[in-house]
Amino acid sequence: MARLQRRARLQHPAAWWLWGLGLATAASRTTNPVLLLLVIGVCVLVVDERHDPATVNPLPAFLAIGAVIVAFRIVMTALLGNGIVGETVVMTLPSVPLPDWAAGVRIGGTVTLESLLYAAYDALRLAAVLACLGAANALASPRRLLRYLPATLYDVGTAVVVGLTFAPQLLTDAREVRAARTLRGRDGRGLREMARLTVPVLEAAFDRSLGLAASMESRGYGRAVRSTTTSRRAATGLALAGLVGVLAGLYGLLDSSAGGVLGLPVLVLGALLAGSSLLVGASRDPRSGHRRDRWTWTETVTVVAGAVPAAVLVVGSVQGWEGIVPSQQGELPAVPLIAVLALLVAALPAWLSPRPREVAP
Amino acid sequence: MTGRRVIPLRWPAVVAVAVVGVVGLVAFTWPFFVTGDFARDHGNDAPWLFAVLLGLLAVVCLAEVTAGRLDAKTIAVLGVAAAAGGGLRLLSAGTAGLEPMFFIVIVAGRVLGPGVGFVSGALAVTTGALLTGGVGPWLPFQMICAGGIGLGAGLLPARAGGRAERWVLAAYALVTGLAFGLFMNLWFWPFLGTNAPSGMGFVPGAPLSENLAHYGLFYLATSLAWDLPRGVLNAVLVLLAGPALLRVFRRGARRAAFGVPVVFEPTRAAGADVDSPLQGAGGAR
Repeated sequence: MARLQRRARLQHPAAWWLWGLGLATAASRTTNPVLLLLVIGVCVLVVDERHDPATVNPLPAFLAIGAVIVAFRIVMTALLGNGIVGETVVMTLPSVPLPDWAAGVRIGGTVTLESLLYAAYDALRLAAVLACLGAANALASPRRLLRYLPATLYDVGTAVVVGLTFAPQLLTDAREVRAARTLRGRDGRGLREMARLTVPVLEAAFDRSLGLAASMESRGYGRAVRSTTTSRRAATGLALAGLVGVLAGLYGLLDSSAGGVLGLPVLVLGALLAGSSLLVGASRDPRSGHRRDRWTWTETVTVVAGAVPAAVLVVGSVQGWEGIVPSQQGELPAVPLIAVLALLVAALPAWLSPRPREVAP
Repeated sequence: MTGRRVIPLRWPAVVAVAVVGVVGLVAFTWPFFVTGDFARDHGNDAPWLFAVLLGLLAVVCLAEVTAGRLDAKTIAVLGVAAAAGGGLRLLSAGTAGLEPMFFIVIVAGRVLGPGVGFVSGALAVTTGALLTGGVGPWLPFQMICAGGIGLGAGLLPARAGGRAERWVLAAYALVTGLAFGLFMNLWFWPFLGTNAPSGMGFVPGAPLSENLAHYGLFYLATSLAWDLPRGVLNAVLVLLAGPALLRVFRRGARRAAFGVPVVFEPTRAAGADVDSPLQGAGGAR
């Protein structure tokens, strides 16, 4: 056991995001409530074990949104019905007569168990996908991914980092200005007051930001990226060719009379060309990095643990295993054992990945 | 001042923005014109496909618009727009998506031109998502929408500093507030399928008029209650703070002295421009 107690470090953010996307893919393939609740459970467990305690945990917010979606969907279905015709009547609500132009819409009427279950399962699937994304957000802050932007987007990434750094400062400024106005006898409420805040707050932001720009220029900002006219032209050519390819592929895909077979390959080719333009456009000077993220075997394990359930559930939904898409009867649906095992594999990073930080016992 | 654009749009960037706009339009409106077979076979995958595709295209588009022409000052101004958008997003997280950030995007696009408008819209949404930990498949759709709003604000035909500008911008804020919801619903609407309230769901293969009518009802029943307050809030904010904010941005842009070439003049060595941290800005005023 002692060998497993490795040094605490933050895992590579890409590994956690690939894990989260894999699990989200798995969740999007099934409407089985048992499997979906298992997905949510895995997310909660892994986040609980490996979330960096120094940062805010966004997962509860995602879970809350998921719960609201489920509740909202059930209430809407009870009130407005959906396309499922069921046998088991749960209750009958008083119905409201509607004018002719709203033909097909009904308000109230009989509520069947089947339609409610269908709505609940479908909403639960969305909630599970949200839980996976929330887990990815919690395990590796997406701003750590900004480091891996291709060199072409270096400038844009810098602008986002500046924005991320200044946004909390902006809120502090707004609070200070508001406090100052309150001291002068304004109550600081209402839209007009909010509008008045914007000028001093943004003036301060421009001051700070232009100061930063001056210091960036004086320190030789922009030398980190090398782009020549030729490489930029090549990138533009690739991007435009890729975009045209994407457009043609989409047309082929959506209009099946115009050769639907060609659609997807052309689309993928176009996307690849457009993506490669990001790599060609500029290259980064080799720089030494501070606390560079490492990719070790734990990262590989994490990615594989996310890929296994995705693969199993995609295969299961294509082959139509029993219980992947359950019927809406008032009984516990069949649960395919392989899918359960595959989802449990996704929980392995909770123990196999390194701890994000030493926590005082 | 508005005649000078901070990021001039060259023709490849214009083409890229146009193509991404078309793909974006298809990504939102595909339920209305695909065949029934396609919708039945791929109805559940299509939103994911478009999320990935739009994410890639939005990034390519950003790269094309900014390709190698962002200096430190442009980045600083974009950073302010992104910070303001992200900060307002943080504030509005409790108010169920009223999104007052659009008013910053509109003002930035108006003052700094369509190129910066597009970039600052997309970056404001991204910054907000990164701050609130809300990165998900909706982000590419929001980037395209917010970028489009900033781009459109830069192209509005109102004279800078005129009396009409305020009202034109307020009307634009109202319209885009409504349109944002109208488009953003569309990315998940086909997902609902038979699960939508009856008479409001996406029917694969049904004629355009029927699906449009269904979507119209869906919009009226669910989304308008959020979109109308959002549009009105942004319009009121533009009316109240717009002129002052336009002045702040114009002043900021002037201080950053975009487009003024840096010239070294050996005779003015001492005492000149010590107050300006950005050398070369001396001739701008």
